[in-house]
Amino acid sequence: MILQRSRATVRGYINTATAWLDNTLVLGRSVRWYVTGWPFGLVIFLLAIIAPSFLDQPTLTSAISICIYAMLALGLNIVVGYAGLLDLGYVAFFVIGSYTVAVGTGSELYNSNGQPFSIPTVSFWLLLPLAAVIAALFGILLGAPTLRLRGDYLAIVTLGFGEIVPKVFQNVPYFNGSLGMGAAPPPDINLPLIGDISFSDPLNLTPFYYLALGLLAIVVVAVIALRDSSIGRAWIAIREDETAAAASGVNLVRTKLLAFGLGALIGGIGGALNTAFLPVVNPNDFNFGISITVLAMIVLGGIGSIPGVILGATILRYFDVSLVNQISTYVQENPAITNAIPGLNDINEAKLLIYGMVLVLMILLRPQGLLPNRRRSRELKGIGASAEGTSAVGLLAREESGLDVPEEDALDETAYTGAGSDARGRE
Amino acid sequence: METPATAEAAPASERTSRPVLLDIVDLSRSFGGLRAVDGVTLDVRQGEIFSIIGPNGAGKTTVFNLITGIYKPDSGTMTFEGRSIAGLTPDRVLRRGIARTFQNIRLFNNMTVLENALVGQQIRFPSDLASVMLHLPNYRKAEREARARAIELLSFFGPSLVDRQDEYASNLSYADRRRVEIVRALGSGPRLLLLDEPTAGMNDAETAEAITYIQRLRREFNLTVLLIEHKLQVTMGISDHIVVLDYGKKLAEGIPSEIQRNPLVIEAYLGRKAEV
Repeated sequence: MILQRSRATVRGYINTATAWLDNTLVLGRSVRWYVTGWPFGLVIFLLAIIAPSFLDQPTLTSAISICIYAMLALGLNIVVGYAGLLDLGYVAFFVIGSYTVAVGTGSELYNSNGQPFSIPTVSFWLLLPLAAVIAALFGILLGAPTLRLRGDYLAIVTLGFGEIVPKVFQNVPYFNGSLGMGAAPPPDINLPLIGDISFSDPLNLTPFYYLALGLLAIVVVAVIALRDSSIGRAWIAIREDETAAAASGVNLVRTKLLAFGLGALIGGIGGALNTAFLPVVNPNDFNFGISITVLAMIVLGGIGSIPGVILGATILRYFDVSLVNQISTYVQENPAITNAIPGLNDINEAKLLIYGMVLVLMILLRPQGLLPNRRRSRELKGIGASAEGTSAVGLLAREESGLDVPEEDALDETAYTGAGSDARGRE
Repeated sequence: METPATAEAAPASERTSRPVLLDIVDLSRSFGGLRAVDGVTLDVRQGEIFSIIGPNGAGKTTVFNLITGIYKPDSGTMTFEGRSIAGLTPDRVLRRGIARTFQNIRLFNNMTVLENALVGQQIRFPSDLASVMLHLPNYRKAEREARARAIELLSFFGPSLVDRQDEYASNLSYADRRRVEIVRALGSGPRLLLLDEPTAGMNDAETAEAITYIQRLRREFNLTVLLIEHKLQVTMGISDHIVVLDYGKKLAEGIPSEIQRNPLVIEAYLGRKAEV
């Protein structure tokens, strides 16, 4: 009862704030436009550019990690947010990108007895695009057999793929099993006017930060260009009604594979960058948790919304790599807190619990995310549920029907009348 | 099949002089034990309004789904402009020049009216990723032309749809949604338009208007129209040729006046309808 009332109160505050964002006009534009539109993005980007001048090295480490995860989240957002295909195995492409760099820069592989043997190294600058291409190929390879699957079934298959790929690297010889492999940071480059830039100085992370930020900026621009193109429209059309999309000229096979391939491509870049940063790769670091974390970033920020997804990645990654440690230190310095709440002793243990609670609260209070995509909010509110229907709880999964109409629905007049939302649909 | 003798009357012979646009021979499709479409043969001729009528469950929409590649036929041939279209995917059928609407409007409800019209022109956009991603000149040209064409098609139904181009499709009135669905179908520049019960759920005034614009569509876009329709006011009023389906089989065919007089049709279709 109390919980319900406080929930309603909180939701009331959120709705008031949202309404304020939408209805307050500044120079003819809503405040929301300034917060989610390109002017705000530009401000954030400029802030990010000057950030190294006022951030310390540990914070810069977090910032690099945030950039990498924001890229991953934007990549997965293409698959889940635009094309509406629930992919729970996104970690696979992160792994593939990671190992491409580790193998190419680590200078050695291992035979079946675990003995290392030397191989020639390849420059990171070549491996980065290579990792992207290899990941994209695997994205298409995974996508191809799942084309006919939707919703829950697709999620299960992709989940399996996400489990298999790290295990392959762990168990196939050459990659040193669970011990992982060393990698090398990107080699120095020499730019005119700027001079030598070193990416391997642990005391100066600024160059690597700019590398990550630059790649993130490219990904953002590419994703915006895709979203606002005929391909972006085709993805949304598929998500809304696959049969109608096909009948309107959308090539389902090609369009879905494009989503899988481009999502994987960005995942590969993220993996490559992450490995070059660490610079080490270990199969135990790649698990289902990463797929879920990246998905959680999207859900938290707002499925299908680029600023939302970046915000989600920033919040969750900052929590993960920085905030948790800060809270942990604070708690340990103040025994009074641990005495009051014994569970807080080791906050790292409680991390996933907090994580889960944040997500549950989000789903209950604001399922459309912090900076929602307009279209998605409509879908969640059930406005204009299409013939295929978007289930109320179907934040990720969608109601199924369409090309493979079950046999009992095949009679012509009953086919397609599934969840018709209009009462006037039939005479 | 059991075509009455009058089918070879004067209007019909005038019809046979026109070229066949869509030729369907012995088309069949079963679902489980049910023969939804059972050996149907149709010849849709250039420029005509061809109606398929029949009781509920007669297999009319299944014929549409077979033509547009949503279902694959079990047997039979389908030839459009002399080339086989059997077994093609829906987007390839569309590329060949056959567009359709759905019985229970299937717009992209969370896309705007304009976006719906643009998706309908999907096949006009360059297909290589580089052009689209980098918004190269050929892509920008396609986008510009598609937007102009979308507005032009929307204005076919008067200024009201153009004014509402940025509305979400689900916010439109029922009749307007039917119109936007037709606009989406026209986007690909089809030569054959398949309309699945275009007046379902409309009142008399809206139905009368629909009749007018179906005739205008044929005239202004040089279309051939294949129509599924329940309302006799529509079918009898505008059809050049009618085929009656019952239990997946062709029961009769001919011009409207013949169909109206055909005792088999009266029994199977009109008779049953009257009982309801």
